[in-house]
Amino acid sequence: MTPLEALSALLLLAGAAFYLAGTVGLLRFPDVYARLHALTKADNLGLGLIALGLALQAENPAAGLKILLVWPLVLVASAAVSFAIARRAHELGILPAGAESPAPPAPPPEGEARIMPPGDRA
Amino acid sequence: MHARSDRSPSGRFGLRGFLQRGALFTALWWVLAEGRADAWGIGAVSVLLATAASLALAPPGPGRLSAIGLLGFAAFFLAQSALGGIQVAARAFRPRMDLAPALVEVPITLPDGAARILLVNTLNLLPGTVSVGLRGDRLCMHVLDDRLPVAAEVRQVEARIARMLELPA
Repeated sequence: MTPLEALSALLLLAGAAFYLAGTVGLLRFPDVYARLHALTKADNLGLGLIALGLALQAENPAAGLKILLVWPLVLVASAAVSFAIARRAHELGILPAGAESPAPPAPPPEGEARIMPPGDRA
Repeated sequence: MHARSDRSPSGRFGLRGFLQRGALFTALWWVLAEGRADAWGIGAVSVLLATAASLALAPPGPGRLSAIGLLGFAAFFLAQSALGGIQVAARAFRPRMDLAPALVEVPITLPDGAARILLVNTLNLLPGTVSVGLRGDRLCMHVLDDRLPVAAEVRQVEARIARMLELPA
């Protein structure tokens, strides 16, 4: 095993560990907002480490850069999707678990459906 | 060190903007084709189409991008991403998770548009914050631990974005 392969293996293992952490967080964290933290932060770092680890094994620089390019693209999607989910949850009136002084839910945009109280949903 | 967008009287399809974006898409094609030379025929067509589409959909405005600011932002973002991942992972694995979640509102000073969108999305990826909504000039965020200095972190990200986009602070 060359030093480069060893470094690559180390990065891949670290990346897998962060994916595991993201999944454990998804299962253990108390509400939708906290779970988004687990997904956006732990998984994104995990993906960055795995992309870097794989890029080190690429056949040429261009192929390596192509693998690395996956990371920022997923970051953009992940950030936008987590904002969409968090905003919708807030509009629906879902309060964060354990929040002491919850802020009132944001008023929905024009033409939006009524705000459902959290207990109203199945 | 400034990659300036085109402001010449020749307008939005100025040569400078065309060359800059063309170079960017050429580099992107080289990466996507994994450096193979046999694909440059399709590549040339793709690069031209992509450049035309890019100039039509997002014409170069008066905006400027500071190269030093961009590098600084990238380094800051990488370090903070690592910190955010480690922080969340540590809490997920700890037997007592020790969370102090809260919704907090922070006033923001960046102008509407690209700068704000960048701020909201960056904060989603940084330690401890998930953006929940924008109301006027106030950003509502969910924080995992309200004992951490969230407002200061938002200030810092705002300052870095302002420096990168060369906005008045």
